[in-house]
Amino acid sequence: MTTTTSTTVARKPLDWRRLALHAGCLAALLVMLYPLAWLLATSLKPANEVIASLNLLPGKLEWSNYKTALDGVNDVSVTRLLTNSLLIAGGAVVGNVISCSLAAYAFARLRFRFRGPLFAFMIATIMLPHHAVLIPQYIIFNQLGMVNTYWPLILPKFLATEAFFVFLIVQFMRGLPRELEEAARIDGCGPFRSFFSVILPLTRPALITTAIFTFIWTWNDFFTQLIYLFSPEKFTLTLALRSFVDASSTSAFGPMFAMSVIALLPIVLFFLAFQRFLVEGMANSGIKG
Amino acid sequence: MTTTQTKAAVRPQADVPKKPVRRRREGAAWVFLSPWVLGACVLTLLPMAVSLYLSFTDYDLFNAPNWVGLRNYTQMFTEDPRYWRSVGATLTYVVIAVPLQLGLALAVALALKTMRRGRAFYRSAFYAPSLLGASMSIALVWRAIFNDGGTVDNLFGTGGWVNKPGWALFAVALLTVWQFGAPMVIFLAGLQQIPGELYEAAEVDGASRWRQFLSITVPMLSPVIFFNLVLQTIQAFQVFTPAFAVSAGKGGPADSTLFYTLYLYDRGFVASHMGYASAMAWVLLIAIGAVTAVLFRTSRSWVFYASEGDR
Amino acid sequence: MPGSRTRTSFRPRAAATALALCVVLAGCSGGDGSSSAGGKVVLRYTWWGNPDRAARTQEAVDLFEKKNPGIEVQTSFSGYDAYKQKLATQAAGGDAPDVMQLDYRMIDQYASGGVLMDFAEQPDALDTGEFDAGLLATGRVDGKQYAIPQARGTETVVYDTKRWKASGVEPPREGWTWSQWADAMRELAKKTGKPGATDPGQSEDAFEVWLRGQGKALYTKDRELGFTADDLARWWTFTDKLRREGAVSSAEQTTQIDGTVENTPLGRGYTISDTNWDAPSSGFLALIPDGVTLAPMPSGEDGTPGQYFKPSMFMGVSADTTHPKESVRLIDFMLNDAEAAKILGATRGIPVNETLRDAIAPELKDFDKTVYDFQASLDGKLNAPPQAPPSGDSALQTTFQRDYDQVSYERISPREAAENFITEAKAELRP
Repeated sequence: MTTTTSTTVARKPLDWRRLALHAGCLAALLVMLYPLAWLLATSLKPANEVIASLNLLPGKLEWSNYKTALDGVNDVSVTRLLTNSLLIAGGAVVGNVISCSLAAYAFARLRFRFRGPLFAFMIATIMLPHHAVLIPQYIIFNQLGMVNTYWPLILPKFLATEAFFVFLIVQFMRGLPRELEEAARIDGCGPFRSFFSVILPLTRPALITTAIFTFIWTWNDFFTQLIYLFSPEKFTLTLALRSFVDASSTSAFGPMFAMSVIALLPIVLFFLAFQRFLVEGMANSGIKG
Repeated sequence: MTTTQTKAAVRPQADVPKKPVRRRREGAAWVFLSPWVLGACVLTLLPMAVSLYLSFTDYDLFNAPNWVGLRNYTQMFTEDPRYWRSVGATLTYVVIAVPLQLGLALAVALALKTMRRGRAFYRSAFYAPSLLGASMSIALVWRAIFNDGGTVDNLFGTGGWVNKPGWALFAVALLTVWQFGAPMVIFLAGLQQIPGELYEAAEVDGASRWRQFLSITVPMLSPVIFFNLVLQTIQAFQVFTPAFAVSAGKGGPADSTLFYTLYLYDRGFVASHMGYASAMAWVLLIAIGAVTAVLFRTSRSWVFYASEGDR
Repeated sequence: MPGSRTRTSFRPRAAATALALCVVLAGCSGGDGSSSAGGKVVLRYTWWGNPDRAARTQEAVDLFEKKNPGIEVQTSFSGYDAYKQKLATQAAGGDAPDVMQLDYRMIDQYASGGVLMDFAEQPDALDTGEFDAGLLATGRVDGKQYAIPQARGTETVVYDTKRWKASGVEPPREGWTWSQWADAMRELAKKTGKPGATDPGQSEDAFEVWLRGQGKALYTKDRELGFTADDLARWWTFTDKLRREGAVSSAEQTTQIDGTVENTPLGRGYTISDTNWDAPSSGFLALIPDGVTLAPMPSGEDGTPGQYFKPSMFMGVSADTTHPKESVRLIDFMLNDAEAAKILGATRGIPVNETLRDAIAPELKDFDKTVYDFQASLDGKLNAPPQAPPSGDSALQTTFQRDYDQVSYERISPREAAENFITEAKAELRP
């Protein structure tokens, strides 16, 4: 585990350790990505090979699986579903980043009454299994007339109900030296100014992490979308693809795998596009004490 | 918890702090907190209170709940052997999955940090399994791999895992470990926050890499390590989706992967004993709360916060 | 807006929770506004199924809207598991759709919870004259008609035609008994080296067939258990012995059953036959290229048939609906209209309307035809179906599997498992 080195290590002609590191990572990846290869290969297998065949590669390519998977969403255009998904995931990202960082700042850097108990309560909210609060929550949204709208999916994010992210940002903010704000206060900054211009920029890695996770998790959150959306034209891509596969009626494994691959594509693209911001955050991360 | 909440809202007006600056800052804190407070009251506290109430009733989803006192709780502890089996399975899972997943995530994050080339590629590739979540299709892949005649059986001759009561739990735990992307990304974000100057200074002082790891990386990363430890532990206690998917909702074979929340779901939504399920949920909350409280207590001795470092 | 929906009375089941919530949300009206648009009556209709069923249902609904210009039907569907969960949440939240598809096991629970409307409230909108009386009675709870069967199915011994033939074992015939079945399984195992069938011990459905073959039933009319620990212990001893002999599938194979044909031992190619419902057996065709044959389930030793025609799905109307008449009219259209029947075909199973059943028969193709012929061969030979199982049954179905898992993994004896099940069942059925 002595792998931590500074980024300023002098360049050597042939670094065996580095080579070994790459070899190790590649070997680990080979094992890790095998199931994904299996998923991809199976999406192209005919029905009688899906379970029975042990070969990774399909005997013959069954593109009709993809056609069948998309047939389920015929009534609503894929563009529409994609737009709906993006709207919800995008709204969730904006909501979580804003509301969670606000709450986290208060918990991490400000003093107020009952900070301890309220923080404990916030952590406690993630300890109750969500199945237990599902029905009361449904009744609330039903009472508010919000069932079959996107509000139940987006509104909670604007109200910082995901303690996971509040706690995450709290931990990053607590890692910043206290002198930062003291210096800002001497310059005449109130808590609002120092939040926006001092603390927030320095918590960027945590905010980007929050954004990426929120997007992926909201995108994949089949269950909440299933419960709250009724009209097919409001469905998301995940919901449309996943709920249309009915395992009890016919043999549908091939199309189901195809459907998984289709549903996966947008978030793969999202991750590839946005993970570079993690890199960018790194370049700017120097904290000048 | 309701009382704390109302007090918190009322007290500041009741006895005003003496220093005006303090009060202004306290006011600012509540402004920052206001979305959270609103969400906590309406969307979190209220449903939680309802579920606490329901845990003392015979609520069955369809008929009006009747108060039954502690019956759900006594039944759970004294008359339900399957409940205790689910407790045992969950504890085993927590002990296996959490250290493995966190260890792997930390090791990969540290390895990636030292790389100059291909970092983006590795990061994406290691995260790829976590993009999937635990859907039905990944569960089927998992079963195909850990089945008799599956990949693992062919390579190591171990026979199937998912269809043997003693082994199925490991297959489910491995699914969680395999998806270590989230803690890995959080570790990476934490590593980025460590000022490079610290290492430069240590280099100048001639500190070995191991020394640098122990005296710079570990303390500077400790808030994030702590976060991952707490959150992954909480999530492991609530493990649901991987077991639900791999065992097709049954928690089999022979109840070996019938984890706590899986059984809770089964009671609440399959058997419609929502009162009983609510009681299970509150017992779990208390158990996780106790474990988390212990973690927070120990954190004082090993988690280092720069904002409090000078105290 | 005239006809706009304001909820005047709250459902009792939700009342308590709603009360707690209303303290905070005082003044909020429970509007979902989906009930009328542009002066039209708007109905919400949901079902579970695959895309093919959805396309055909939508086509039939479009026709209904054309014939009833004042009514607009909003449709929504999903896979079965997702559907079950969603409907339960909606019902508990007092927000069930106007017209819903129901499973046999849901009826008692939804009816006694006040979710479903008694069809007697709308006597003129639905014609049930063409329905088999016994089948219709399965939708009745406490003498009230809460659900209307849509189609029927029955259990079958489905087998790999080619492999059974190749083994030289005498094929199943009508009226065979459980002991003849067991002998056939043993012989198949000996001749082919593979277990003859999936272990039926885990299946509550197979147990029910066996039990009815002895003149008993899963539940009594008063919704209590219709059998004793002795009965169950005998059944499980019977299957356990066959499993030990290798005549039926091993625990490791049986435990993989998850409701899909792909993961049954037959679908995986480990056994020669399986017990399943008739229509879902079509899934085997994709897995067993040489085809499968449907045979009747074994009877009791005295020839009493155990299998019966079970309604494969029902339609019900929400007790909350503001448009009961239109809702029932939609159901009447789906079940009794000749054009609709033509569009729907056998997508939900063979129709219950006897005239329409015969009318669509010539147009059935492939496996639909196989199922139709199989059912026709049994018509008039089976006993009447039992009434819908009591609420606790959906939980007991899983308990049944779990308890048998303990037997097949040889953790406890069949007798102990049977006694465990009876204890659990009695607690579950406690009123």
